[in-house]
Amino acid sequence: MSRAFLSPSRCDAGTLTSPLRRALEGANSAAVRDLSLEGVVEIRGDSDLVEVAEGEDLVRLSPQRGYIFTDGDPADVAERLRAGGVLAYDATGALAGMAIESEQVVRRLTDLDLDELPTSGPFAHVTAIVRRADDGWVEVYVQQEYGHYVAEAVVDALTGLDTSRGLTRGQTPDVSDPDGSPA
Amino acid sequence: MSFLLSCPFCGPRPVDEYAYFGEVTKRPGPSPTLRELTDYVYFRDNVAGVQREWWQHRSGCGEWFLAERDTRTNEVLEVILPEPGRNSPA
Amino acid sequence: MRLEPRSGERIDRSKPVSFSFAGWKVAGFEGDTLGSAAFAAGKRVFSRSFKYHRPRGLLCCSGHCPNCLMTVDGVPNVRVCTEPIREGAVVEGQNVRWSLDFDFMSVTDKVGGPFTPVGFYYRTFIRPRRLWPFYEKFLRSAAGLGELDEHAGYSRRYDTEHRKARVLVVGGGPAGRAAALAAAASGDGVVLVDEDASLNGMQLDGVEVLAPARALGIWEGGLVPVDAGTVLYRFRAARIIVATGAIEQPLVFPGNDLIGVMLPGGVRRLVNDFSIKPGNRAIVVAADDEGFEVADDLSEAGVAVPRVIDLRETRPRELVAQGGKGRVRRLVVDGESFDCDLLVASGGRQPAYSLLAQAGARIEFDSELGVFVPTELPSGVEAVGSVTGDGLGKVDPEPAYGGKGKCFVCVCEDVTTKDMKRAIAEGFDSIELAKRYTTTTMGPCQGKLCHLPSIRLYSKETRVYEAAIGTTTARPPWAPVELGLLAGRELTPARRTSMHWSHAEAGATIQWAGPWKRPYAYGEKPEDEVRAVHESLGVIDVSTLGKLFVEGPEAVALLERLYPNRFGDMKSGRIRYGVLTSDAGRIMDDGTIARLADDLYYVTTTSTGADAVTAWFEWWNAVWGYEAEIVNVTGAIAAVNLAGPQSRDALQRLTEADVSAEAFKYLDAQEIDVAGVPTLALRIGFVGELGYELHFPSPAGEYLWGQLVAEGARPFGLEPQRILRLEKGHVIVGQDTDSESNLYSAGMSWLPKLDKDDFVGKYALEHFAEREEKERLVGFTMEEDVLPAEGAQIVVEGFPAGRVTSARRSEAVGSVIGLAWVPTDRAKNGTRVEIRVDRLLRGARVTHGAFFDSAGQRMRS
Ligand code: FES
Ligand SMILES: [Zn+2]
Repeated sequence: MSRAFLSPSRCDAGTLTSPLRRALEGANSAAVRDLSLEGVVEIRGDSDLVEVAEGEDLVRLSPQRGYIFTDGDPADVAERLRAGGVLAYDATGALAGMAIESEQVVRRLTDLDLDELPTSGPFAHVTAIVRRADDGWVEVYVQQEYGHYVAEAVVDALTGLDTSRGLTRGQTPDVSDPDGSPA
Repeated sequence: MSFLLSCPFCGPRPVDEYAYFGEVTKRPGPSPTLRELTDYVYFRDNVAGVQREWWQHRSGCGEWFLAERDTRTNEVLEVILPEPGRNSPA
Repeated sequence: MRLEPRSGERIDRSKPVSFSFAGWKVAGFEGDTLGSAAFAAGKRVFSRSFKYHRPRGLLCCSGHCPNCLMTVDGVPNVRVCTEPIREGAVVEGQNVRWSLDFDFMSVTDKVGGPFTPVGFYYRTFIRPRRLWPFYEKFLRSAAGLGELDEHAGYSRRYDTEHRKARVLVVGGGPAGRAAALAAAASGDGVVLVDEDASLNGMQLDGVEVLAPARALGIWEGGLVPVDAGTVLYRFRAARIIVATGAIEQPLVFPGNDLIGVMLPGGVRRLVNDFSIKPGNRAIVVAADDEGFEVADDLSEAGVAVPRVIDLRETRPRELVAQGGKGRVRRLVVDGESFDCDLLVASGGRQPAYSLLAQAGARIEFDSELGVFVPTELPSGVEAVGSVTGDGLGKVDPEPAYGGKGKCFVCVCEDVTTKDMKRAIAEGFDSIELAKRYTTTTMGPCQGKLCHLPSIRLYSKETRVYEAAIGTTTARPPWAPVELGLLAGRELTPARRTSMHWSHAEAGATIQWAGPWKRPYAYGEKPEDEVRAVHESLGVIDVSTLGKLFVEGPEAVALLERLYPNRFGDMKSGRIRYGVLTSDAGRIMDDGTIARLADDLYYVTTTSTGADAVTAWFEWWNAVWGYEAEIVNVTGAIAAVNLAGPQSRDALQRLTEADVSAEAFKYLDAQEIDVAGVPTLALRIGFVGELGYELHFPSPAGEYLWGQLVAEGARPFGLEPQRILRLEKGHVIVGQDTDSESNLYSAGMSWLPKLDKDDFVGKYALEHFAEREEKERLVGFTMEEDVLPAEGAQIVVEGFPAGRVTSARRSEAVGSVIGLAWVPTDRAKNGTRVEIRVDRLLRGARVTHGAFFDSAGQRMRS
């Protein structure tokens, strides 16, 4: 059994779409970036047995659980890790990821301590893995089925920074928020 | 309720990140009487004081653990990793 | 009314600002508040009181009392004395009929009658009961605060922001500032919040100052929500320093609510901050040194102060403020009359301990000081400054001065001394009960100005010492807060499958299904979609199914113990239906279990069950410790059910693998490539036709969906699926079963293997196996073409005896069919039962097995 049916990288070229495509359409890419199709592998078992290679980052949630973020082919990485004695599952398709520039936007959606990253915890009421990229941006990964909702919340919070900055009680601008779309 | 509970792996977090699974109970052995069974399934000690209970860091690392909590003050005295055993009580 | 420019004033006279106040155009300056500008412009009536509609004016001028609550730009209950001025603001009165200056409802003040005494509505409006809705409507509009603009909620934005602080200081007075600076000396992460807008921009070395921002409460874990207008900061602070100071208390004497009766602090603000001359002739009555200080300020501002009465030296018996048109004209002290248009009256200062009390501090009466002070602070919470009682002198005014006229203990709720005395006479002899009966301390000030006076009066009337009476419970919020701010942005997590937008673009009707957004149907007629599945080919998105890997050398042992089913005898590449039960023997969830390899199982759960089942498996394994991992891959994998007589041909066109009837049997699982996408294909038949569940990487969802539709598969939604499964008599856990259902009563007695050593639910099922169930889940066929509602009653001999859980009109069967719980003695095949449909009893026949293709040939073909 190959578990290939977990791996987007085993699909033909041109068959993949990001769960955030529509939510981030037209969003300011200088403020939020889509990471959804970048490689991730979920690990179970003794994470001391995991050898982290070049271009990989291990986020340990507990001694038995973790994720590897990789520049390589996650299906291959999973096979390599399995050979090393842990269970590994390609989680690329499982997670929707976005990088957010503004820490304030992040703080409007999570009470996680941003000085203690990486970690996992609630983000916009959804369980997330939150880590910090080299350039200081905050990367948030959630289950892909929540991706669209979370990305909408991020875009909304970005809007909120503009409308609520420097205001005091009562000086609230009108921001129409019709939740008309049933989709 | 906004008290902090310490996950053995993630550290102190707001209690609403966790799933509470009730006080530790003792599962009866094979072929319990109806009384033993209903005691186990439906009855809880519900102490006003320190009790041992199950928690899961549902919105975090996902791990299960045990906590000794004072139900009167919400003070958590200790968090403990479960030591699984085939016949250990649930 | 403005004084000459003075040093220290907060207004900028070079920047005029104008707004409308109760219909009048009013001009002020930048630095003013709406209230100070209106006062400077000669406005004196700011509100009408809660019950008697008496005109009220500025009292405390510091945001504590109810007297200046007005509606500002549609937002009700804004305290205009602290609300910064802004150009074009529209400020209106509340709780008035006609206008602030002439309120029609003020007749209640004059005529009295049944409207006025305490508790009147408890007694007066209980009969006749049917008239209560009318009374309630009248009362609510007669007594009350501002009205909500029902549309404002949609046009105003509030955000929530999570912050942490090493040290959070509440209160920016001298003590708070000193504490903040001291804390900042040993590191950063120090934040000071204060509700006073004038502290905005204050520079304190190493301290972040937030103003105007109001701490609403202190919760467990150092949680302090801070109201900053349009943003709610949720602070988590390791150390909280409360420096909320002390609040001036009104004196209780007849006429003490007249316009022009003010607290010293408010007067000093008007003079010193806004350079306003608050009157021409002032009398000062005070219980502490504040009185003399305000007298100095007034004289300096050119106000005549003919008399200062120090209550520590003289103890008058009678103190009466008299006036006309609601305004104070004179003060009568033991018969001696003093003309005035400003009466500054204070009963000393009470520590503002509410936040500390909420945090768990003890509050005790300090008989030295004559006020309540906090003691025994909880860990992590400190108090500095006058909130601790520091710097306060002994105050001991009369709890209530005699004389003629209404004498208010609580201005928010219009509670008079007479009301309090009456409540005590009626037997409400505990302060908590008297509070609820009279509603003293329950208004907008939340006891800030009436708690101490109420206790003082109570003590005098009942001859119990204040210390023994104690305090009423302090509850958050410390000050009124807009509900929208507490709600914040609407964040309702929605799950969408990776094919979601294909459905939306195809015009599907999307609806909530548990946490998911799913297509109900794609067209107007779900039955067309049903027909396509029966006659040719349909496809439905079932990515919502929970999907778990259970892997490891002991995976099979774990599953054997979690399910009543047997799995050890199952070959790789085969599938079995499984139902989870609790140890109480009740049905929890169901799904399929495919064995993919010796030590690898692929488990599906219901669409809403994935998280709970994962947690359930993990919990049991935390107890047992089998060498097996449970991994929830619900999101990683998209799934569709390709169903209908043409499904095999369609699948064959998209794959090189052999999917013929011989090579791919019913309940087989195979890994195949479908249109370039690695796929786990499961041959199962939830909808009763030949069909395949295809499981593949989520990001390929839209692509593969498109390929299947291009092969001629007609998309079908949840509603057609419900009809199809009902035709097969397939149960939906959670719809047809509830938390009481077990495998025997639900008609699945073939499933549990009681000869297994142990499994969750075994003990209970052993007991159930031996007893007769009271009711059973059965199918039924209606005799007529009427559709019972879900939940409709099964009626036996005139009594309700069961309920319908599902019912649909089926074209394929040619009747209305459904599932229902019926008494066991009515559960035999063919028994006639009656179902209430639109109040009429309609006949139905119990039908065992599938309604359609009962031999199951179509799905096995
Ligand atoms: S006068 Fe504004 S709150 Fe008291
Ligand atoms: Zn954790």
